[in-house]
Amino acid sequence: MSWITVIWSIVASACLTLAALHFVVWWHQRKAWGNLLFSLTAVATAMLGACELWMMRAETPAEFGLALRWIHVPGWVMLLALVGFVRVHLQAGRPWLAWTVCGMRTVSLILNFILSPNLNYREITGLRQVPFLGEAVSVAIGTPSPWMLIGQISLVLMVVFVVDATLTVWRCGRRRQAILIGFGIVFFTGVGTVQVILTMWGILQTPITLSWFYLGIVVGMAYELSDEVLRATKLTQDLRESEQRMDLATEASGCGFWVWEIPGDEIWISDPGRKLYGVSPTERVDFARFTGTLYPPDIEPVRAAVADAFANGGAYFCEHRVLAGDPSPRWIAVRGKTEFSANGTPLRMRGVSIDISARKQAESELHERRGELAHLARVTMLGELSASLAHELNQPLTAILSNAQAAQRFLAMDDPDLTELREILADIVSEDEHAGEVIRRLRLLLRKGEVQQQELDANEIVLDVLKLVRSDLTYHGVIVTTRLAPKLVAIRGDRVQLQQVLLNLIMNACDAMASNDKDDRHLTVVTRAAGDAALRIEVRDVGRGLPEGGPERAFERFFTTKPHGLGLGLSVCRTIITAHGGTLGAANNAHRGTTFHFTLPTWNR
Amino acid sequence: MNSPTCHPHSPTVFLVDDEEAVRKAVSRLLRSAGIAVAAFASAAEFLTTFDPAIPGCLVLDVAMPGLNGLELQQALAERGGALPIIFLSGHADVPISVDAMKAGAMDFLTKPARDEVLLAAVRTAFEKNRVARIARAETHEILTRLATLTPREREVMEHVVTGRLNKQIAGDLGTAEQTIKIHRARVMEKMKVLSVAELVRLADQARLAPTPAHRTKVS
Repeated sequence: MSWITVIWSIVASACLTLAALHFVVWWHQRKAWGNLLFSLTAVATAMLGACELWMMRAETPAEFGLALRWIHVPGWVMLLALVGFVRVHLQAGRPWLAWTVCGMRTVSLILNFILSPNLNYREITGLRQVPFLGEAVSVAIGTPSPWMLIGQISLVLMVVFVVDATLTVWRCGRRRQAILIGFGIVFFTGVGTVQVILTMWGILQTPITLSWFYLGIVVGMAYELSDEVLRATKLTQDLRESEQRMDLATEASGCGFWVWEIPGDEIWISDPGRKLYGVSPTERVDFARFTGTLYPPDIEPVRAAVADAFANGGAYFCEHRVLAGDPSPRWIAVRGKTEFSANGTPLRMRGVSIDISARKQAESELHERRGELAHLARVTMLGELSASLAHELNQPLTAILSNAQAAQRFLAMDDPDLTELREILADIVSEDEHAGEVIRRLRLLLRKGEVQQQELDANEIVLDVLKLVRSDLTYHGVIVTTRLAPKLVAIRGDRVQLQQVLLNLIMNACDAMASNDKDDRHLTVVTRAAGDAALRIEVRDVGRGLPEGGPERAFERFFTTKPHGLGLGLSVCRTIITAHGGTLGAANNAHRGTTFHFTLPTWNR
Repeated sequence: MNSPTCHPHSPTVFLVDDEEAVRKAVSRLLRSAGIAVAAFASAAEFLTTFDPAIPGCLVLDVAMPGLNGLELQQALAERGGALPIIFLSGHADVPISVDAMKAGAMDFLTKPARDEVLLAAVRTAFEKNRVARIARAETHEILTRLATLTPREREVMEHVVTGRLNKQIAGDLGTAEQTIKIHRARVMEKMKVLSVAELVRLADQARLAPTPAHRTKVS
């Protein structure tokens, strides 16, 4: 059995297998140049081995010379591939050095084919058979050619190039790459070159076994690349697992991920996202198609939000409805981020959309409940006022009745005074209107309806409420003073609810002063601006002060000092004021009594 | 507060209500029934400007700023007023109406009050006031007459009205029967009565006449 054949076959097949493997890798991912170059290196090594075998089995000097000539081809391929590999895969090494090396080696290849028999020998005089691994192999005897130097120098330069690259890589911290590839190339090339020189000079009586040394390089590179492949596989696996987790999360949460390539106007959406928007799993989605899925009234706001995101740094946040969804349009919250190109044009927007229909539903129910509670508190409060309200209506009714009955009597006289009768009728009409006003105000407060946002004048609200409780205040002997700022900016809110708050505070103030002396029941209502964007309303009394436990105690649900009170009034008032964007608080006055105060933001058009 | 028996003023309703529309309308109603009215916007205004010599009655609102109706009623009682009070209130409050009646109000009407109801109450009040004024005038006259008696005559009168005979009175006082007869004649003359029965009646009325010092406060 020929050990040489076996060994060289093993080397060749190993190299070719690795070459094929990595060629396939490059085929699937054209950017993996490192793999292609490695492939070439491995093929070159195999061809090197083939030529070496040819040399060893050569029977004539001419044949040997030819084999030695042809061995330069894989050698040239090898060198260029190695240089390329270092540049492309390690991304290190000076380019000019690389080009010099390649240039020189190409020159030496050309020379190799010009000179006879080849670059290495000026003349091969004879062959000698030497024992090698149990066989006799041919070794050349001849005169070395000085042109061989060019080849050697190119190899030396390559080594320099690789050393330089290795140092760069080492400094970057990629130690393993540096050793495997950089050191490997340097070492094995060095050894190989030495062997060639010694053999050529007849000092060493062995055939050229460059293929073994280059196999070393190939193995190092293969290990490095396969490590990459392994890492890539692991990464793929991790990625797949990560994707699976994400899919699970998005399915569970009903989120959809999307990426919008803006220049090409193409939107990629994850499958859960497609379901969310009611888009089929395969159709192409662009911005127009996207806006087609929206609930029509929301289309403009969404466009505006996108434009705003582009203009102001890229963060996109929007809540809108989509037509898909059963039975009613679905609410979706979207958050996105935009990437911009170097000159500021938007390139890509990435984001996530979440189904918030349940939340919106809960919000609207909560809103309704709050409205109902406010209504309940209002009605209860008005119930407490009922006697005073009846009195308030009785005044105009009395005036109307007495006027009318007086008129009847005047008419029954012989010569009725028509002027007086006209006056009577005019008074009746005006008193009727007055009664109508009271009823209108009352009805407004008793109304249970949706909260309405209107432009309101705070002073007007204070005066309306005071008119409503006038009889009650008189009945309880309370003296009211108002200090209303003349030019208050308008506020935005629900008239009924704000009147409710004032009414509650005023009635509480009356109660607080119930045990004061009759001339000592002073109630003051103040309105004034509080900074540029808010105004402040205060209700002050000189009564018994806040209960023990501090001001906040009074706002607790179900806390009341009235024997038959519900205790809801103040907590509802606070909810109302908070919903209007303001704050409601209380504090005892320095001397005596309490001041309840609330702020409300003004309405900026 | 003493005044002559008759006064040229016709009975007037003194109307006190803080609400202008009500004052106007009720005044019109009273005028249309031929009744004189004087309207006041507050209890304080009434107290400072009304003329106690004018006969009539008071129509009073309860809930007013400052002094309310019940407080005015009390203030008038302290001054020894004779004006009957009719409350005309917008609050149909049982405790208040009970307090008002206990304190001597003549009537308590709720707004809105029909004309017949109000006018009937006013007429009743005028009548009550007229009778009271007459009684007061009478009592005043009696007291004036009593003041003209000498102490001795006074003593004799006291005994006469208990039904004692001249002889018995002479015995009680330690004088002669004839002296008693003379005193008795003078008493009858000064008191302007013709019979003992009348004298007794006058004496009773004089004793029951309320004087400011004896009046007890009714709360």
